[in-house]
Amino acid sequence: MTRRGLIVLALVLAVARAGEAQPAATTLVVYAAADLDTAFREIKPLFEKATGARVTLVMGSTGNLAKQIEHGAPADVFFAANESFVDDLRAAGAIIPQTRALYAQGRIVLAVPKKSAVAARELTDLLKPEVRRVAIANPAHAPYGRAAQEALERAGVWDKVKPKLVYGESIRHALQFVETGAVEAGIVALSIADAPGIAYAPIDPALHAPLNQVAAVVKRSPHPDLGAAFIQFVNGAEGRLVMKRYGFLLPGEF
Amino acid sequence: MDFFPLWLSLKVSVTATILTVATGLPLAWVLALKRFPGRDLAEAVVVLPLVLPPTVLGYYLLVLISRQGAIGRVLDAAGIELAFTWRAAVLAAWVGSSALFIKAAQAGFEAVDRRLEQAALTLGRSQWSVFWSITLPLASRAVMAGTVLAFCRALGDFGITLMVAGSIPGLTQTTPLAIYDLVQSNRMAEANTLSLIAVATVALLLMGIGRLARLRF
Amino acid sequence: MALSLEVRKALPGFTLDVAWEAGDEVVTLFGPSGAGKTLTLQCLAGLVRPDSGRIVVNGTVFFDGALGVDVPTQRRRLGYVFQGYALFPHLNVRDNVAYGLRHLTTSTRRERTREVLERLGLADLASRRPRELSGGQQQRVALGRALAPDPALILLDEPLSALDLPLRQALRDDLRAVLAEWRTAAVLVTHDFTEAYRLGDRIVVYEAGRVIQTAPRAELLWQPASERVAGIVGIRNVLHGTVLKATPDRIQFSWRGQLLEAVNSPTRSYLPAPERPLAFFIRPEYVRLIRKDRGSPDPGHHMNLMQGRVVGEADFGTTWTLYVRLDAPGAPAQGEYDLEIEVPRLVYEILDLARDRQWQLSIHRGSIHVLPSS
Repeated sequence: MTRRGLIVLALVLAVARAGEAQPAATTLVVYAAADLDTAFREIKPLFEKATGARVTLVMGSTGNLAKQIEHGAPADVFFAANESFVDDLRAAGAIIPQTRALYAQGRIVLAVPKKSAVAARELTDLLKPEVRRVAIANPAHAPYGRAAQEALERAGVWDKVKPKLVYGESIRHALQFVETGAVEAGIVALSIADAPGIAYAPIDPALHAPLNQVAAVVKRSPHPDLGAAFIQFVNGAEGRLVMKRYGFLLPGEF
Repeated sequence: MDFFPLWLSLKVSVTATILTVATGLPLAWVLALKRFPGRDLAEAVVVLPLVLPPTVLGYYLLVLISRQGAIGRVLDAAGIELAFTWRAAVLAAWVGSSALFIKAAQAGFEAVDRRLEQAALTLGRSQWSVFWSITLPLASRAVMAGTVLAFCRALGDFGITLMVAGSIPGLTQTTPLAIYDLVQSNRMAEANTLSLIAVATVALLLMGIGRLARLRF
Repeated sequence: MALSLEVRKALPGFTLDVAWEAGDEVVTLFGPSGAGKTLTLQCLAGLVRPDSGRIVVNGTVFFDGALGVDVPTQRRRLGYVFQGYALFPHLNVRDNVAYGLRHLTTSTRRERTREVLERLGLADLASRRPRELSGGQQQRVALGRALAPDPALILLDEPLSALDLPLRQALRDDLRAVLAEWRTAAVLVTHDFTEAYRLGDRIVVYEAGRVIQTAPRAELLWQPASERVAGIVGIRNVLHGTVLKATPDRIQFSWRGQLLEAVNSPTRSYLPAPERPLAFFIRPEYVRLIRKDRGSPDPGHHMNLMQGRVVGEADFGTTWTLYVRLDAPGAPAQGEYDLEIEVPRLVYEILDLARDRQWQLSIHRGSIHVLPSS
């Protein structure tokens, strides 16, 4: 048995090694806010085809990513879900100021599991006793979480809903809570809400400060030109087409 | 299906475990056999990584090893990159799993009859020789158990690794981080596959080690 | 081999303060448990560091508190047989014995190991593990391991206490034979006086961290330095009387209303004044019962005549112990009886002691041993 076991193990390792990342051309490391998960997964192959470079996407909540960049994470370009985190980085001298560019405006929606018996289409529905838990991204470091909090406050339900809140590390995490039915409802980004098993309703954008999303090239990047090119691609014809499909408003529309 | 996380995790865990054993053996021996001022403090420090939340631990480590940090500055001058590389993942795994090994090895050493070591000394052997020929062989079960524990803990590290190495696909995204990422993106089929393969690999590895250990001892 | 030891060590609740010397012989450290014997051995071996003192073996200073000399254990090259033997459980007999022979070349080591195994009758057991051996075999392996490097001195800590009584006697003689055959000087610790006597040429008596007598073994038996020592050595019939007259040759004293005369100690000038208390002992096997079929006792031949009745007895197989109460007014000296007497079984039967309980006793004046007051 030992011999067979060892052979199997050797095979597994060989296969694993085969999958080892082999960077042929330049690799662009893109740190992107969680709401860009779906959109950027489409944009990535398009950009790779257009430029011949490889793209590595690192997703997370804007605040967490910004902190990592501040500590020297190897990001080439940073796509935040708001402006303030990028401006903080600019103040810290971590980004190339001239590359700061607005690339989209986001929207938040109220999401529920499709199979749920509990209906929630308005923020006031969250007051219902059947809605026991509500997921949002952590407002401390996720701009969409911040926006969710602002919306709840302006809708006048923050005090009653706050005890029901469950914080996700990012809106991807918050969406996950909704998908698994761990919570009865959640406030997530429109761009990722189109997931199987999710039903959602828009939230009035007047209820929160606009989610103006800004990108910038990281100063430490060994290929700032490529980073700038990626920002331009997202803001270019091909990129905008994809972004629009995922519900983002584009520069010029807001 | 990208197998890089699997390969990376094995590489990181094996390296971290070797580091754990190399640094842990002398530490465990000192804690088991020597009385010195501050010994209780030393024991508490050893166990600390088990008590602190991983992200907190990871944060403090990051502050230390990032380019502005106390250790990171020195390494940067020497041209060595630590934060956000696979080496940081090794550091994270080492910090997270050392205590398990040290405690197990320490218990093993403490259980060895001191008179056997004294007898060895009277027969002309140096302390070093006594450790390798008497103390370690008699504690081998505990040391092996500690090594396996540390290895498994290293494989499964998440919080600390996330903080000091980040979850960079193709670079520092170990298996736990990769699975988490897949689940977050709702790519459940891939998440399940990766989990299954990871579990199967480790199970095979441990069975193989267990068999080897039983044959030798 | 010459050994000179002087050690002081303070531990919580106990202080060791001893000094003694030995030559090329077997020295037994004898005394009750907790008296500091094992601690002395550990200091000799370098496993424990004394607070002050001096240890010299064969001209080499192992320890000198004043000069700051403390040779580490591994360089002292003393054999040590631990209580319970401390055999290495993960090594077989051959590897245990060869453990201390690292400094030899492979072939020499193999040869020496073989020699030691054969001399101790362990050749057939060479591949066995310690847990597969009997107590006696383990003892021989422990001895072999300690003796293989040919040390100048071997230390043994209670080598027989881990064994059952019948085995103990057999192995005691075994041990004596091995020590004699290998002609290695030894320091041996035991709390059993028979062992100390049988195995040692010289006995050092320990009590509560101090040495209360050092003497060749016979001297200890016949001339214990004090009542204390007599008690520890297990001497029977330690009694107290009152001095009547003392001369360099004889001491006359009274005890239990009897007028007795003892030979004065030849090595010590002991002249207590009249009316002083006197401690003495009489060995049980030296009390004579006067046969009734041989006419009345002859004062010239039968000294220190007394009259008494057997009030108790104990059967020890080859001998009988009788407890005799004197026909004298007053309470007996030792609880219910005055004297303990030992007679061979044959005598017990011939004199029909089971039924005939009234007897006259005689003790030669040389058999009453005076204990100097301490």
